[in-house]
Amino acid sequence: MHQKVADVGVSSRLALGELKEHKRIYAVIIIVIALTMTSFMLENAYLNYMMQVVDDTTKIVTSDAVVVDEDSNIRDLYGTTVELKNAGEIAGRIESSLPGYKTSIRVTAQGTYGLGTLGEAVDACTIQGINPEKDNEISGIANRIVKGRFFNDDDPILRGHTPLYIEIEGPGNLPDFTWGSSEKLVGNEEPYPVIAGAAAAKIHPSVDVGKTLTITLSVSGRETSYASVDVKIIGLYESGTPLLDALIWFMHADSLREIKRYGEVTGNDWSIPGVGTFHGYNPITIDRDRGDIIIVKAPEPLHQLDPIGHSRYVKDEVSSIVPFLKVYSWHDFLIYAAGSMQDVVTIMLWGSIAVTLFLCGAAIKYVMDSIIMRKTREIGSLKAFGARDRMIFKIFLYQGLIIGLIAGFLGIILSVVVMNLVNWYGLSVEFIAGTQLKVGFIINWLTLLIALLLPVTLSVIAAAIPAKKAAMLSPVEALRKGELSL
Amino acid sequence: MPETKNPIIKLDCISKKYGGYGIVVNALDSVSLEIYPGEFVSIIGPSGCGKSTLLHCMGLLDKPSLGQVYIDGKDTSKISGKEIALFRGEKLGFVFQNYNLIPRLTVLENVILPGLIMQKDAAKLEKKAKILLKEVGILHRSDHRGIHLSGGEQQRVAIARALINDPVLVLADEPTGALDSDSSKEIMDVLVKINKKRNVTSVFVSHDPLIASYGRRTIVLKDGKIVGDTEGKSKNFNKVLKNLSNASEGGGRGS
Repeated sequence: MHQKVADVGVSSRLALGELKEHKRIYAVIIIVIALTMTSFMLENAYLNYMMQVVDDTTKIVTSDAVVVDEDSNIRDLYGTTVELKNAGEIAGRIESSLPGYKTSIRVTAQGTYGLGTLGEAVDACTIQGINPEKDNEISGIANRIVKGRFFNDDDPILRGHTPLYIEIEGPGNLPDFTWGSSEKLVGNEEPYPVIAGAAAAKIHPSVDVGKTLTITLSVSGRETSYASVDVKIIGLYESGTPLLDALIWFMHADSLREIKRYGEVTGNDWSIPGVGTFHGYNPITIDRDRGDIIIVKAPEPLHQLDPIGHSRYVKDEVSSIVPFLKVYSWHDFLIYAAGSMQDVVTIMLWGSIAVTLFLCGAAIKYVMDSIIMRKTREIGSLKAFGARDRMIFKIFLYQGLIIGLIAGFLGIILSVVVMNLVNWYGLSVEFIAGTQLKVGFIINWLTLLIALLLPVTLSVIAAAIPAKKAAMLSPVEALRKGELSL
Repeated sequence: MPETKNPIIKLDCISKKYGGYGIVVNALDSVSLEIYPGEFVSIIGPSGCGKSTLLHCMGLLDKPSLGQVYIDGKDTSKISGKEIALFRGEKLGFVFQNYNLIPRLTVLENVILPGLIMQKDAAKLEKKAKILLKEVGILHRSDHRGIHLSGGEQQRVAIARALINDPVLVLADEPTGALDSDSSKEIMDVLVKINKKRNVTSVFVSHDPLIASYGRRTIVLKDGKIVGDTEGKSKNFNKVLKNLSNASEGGGRGS
């Protein structure tokens, strides 16, 4: 033990001396490794941040996976999807086939509000019709309420008839939104309760708890069908990304079923040639098995180190039950929300990091090889003075260790500086639906650990090869070679 | 030779062969030799006669192909590979032709280094190193780096370094081989002084008869065999010197 401690002392002192002597070449290698690790840290921290953003926001919409009709796409989830046939039966099949998985049927519609009568801008939102009990269990929406309240049993969820809506035939012939808006309520009916995004309340004066506003809803995925309804805001929620949560509002799924005529409808509609068809005030008995999307929550994974892998696994599991439908995973949303190039960029970045690190490792090895060639006589002398092979090995190994540690720490420090500069400057990028997202970074322990361990491992391995060679030199050969090299 | 004492080093019929590609060279051929405590021995011979090989075998830097090397009564062939380095560090001191100081270390650090390798206390080593540096006349430059010293000064430091672990035997391979004649004389005077004052057994190799004449005992090697072993400057020695002068004419710095 004592010998080992002594070895560490002498070896590390000699290693430091070697590093000082060759500081220029090692400084170049250290800087290259550090910059590589800086880009790794920035990419990872940004990806972590984006994942957090997507986690905070889109998981409200999707949970772990979402099943949609084959005619819908991921973009429709921020608007209106095509109705999913047999939604109730499919949800039941997923739950019974995949133990531990939970599902909820949602109804979707896209709305516009703020009619410009008070000089306000017209804004858009996606209304998601939720099942308060199941959806709260799956997405925890009630926990995100920051003002007002979540749905309760006394809320006026149903009116017993459909609202007034029109169907305009053909594109380019936009509907007049004021039509029907004065006839949105019959008698003393209460407006439908909704939960809006807190960010919407900040930017739009019509949106706040207790306020009633008229929303024109696009109720069909692929046709121009609009319904005009009054809603009352009962609560505001916050998802974590202020400008994104303004987009998604929640209504009771049954309310939206009534609006979208998901049930048994009786009564007459009116058709005006050249204008369109008027539907409205038809008595309806809603069908709770009808819906537009099914959100799926998988059981908690055993570990969280590979959320993307877990997300893909969940998608595959659900797809195996409903092979004829489209299944989007949380990771698909990440790609959609954070940019479809995200994965490609990540792979390219990892590739370039791997190539750079490999070259740095090779540089360390060859620099040390040439140093050992020049220092053969010195190594021979140390062996003559009683240095064991292990001590010689450590002299060069420690150099690798020190190079790796300095490069790792420098990389981390540089990336923190860059992150602070970006935060200070307040850089933003365009996010979904025309919103701006502030660029941010989240450093987790795993990223830090990799940023430190990767260069250390690389340089230690790179140094170990010449270190072993130096350690194995026979003292007499080392002394003789040294003389020859003079 | 003080036959009553036990030898510090005993070579028992050692041979060293180098070979390859069908050619075998007998660098040492059945060399037997005993060196006793306090002796100051020079080994001389023409280039390629096996002087350095002999010194390397004595210093456990190289293994003989045949025969045994006993140091301080111990059969070194029975010491394991790992422990041989430790044994070398404890028992032997080395002085090299090209000094082999570590350039980035100061004079004092260079002297201390073998002691640190042998895990000795740094403070005690420093104290001892200063005494040794004073003895070799280079204490005033103890904070300078090795590379800033002249050849003679560097070799003085190397001598102090060889003594830091209180070796039973100091081995010097062409200690004046890289020095001018004045510096060579000074270095040999230092080695003689150290031998007398500290009674350190010393063996040095030289191709130069004048340098070899500093030895109180001179061993002459030729073709890997001992052809002469004389005490002091006997009549025999003068004859040997004459023969060697002829043999080493135009010879290299070392063997």
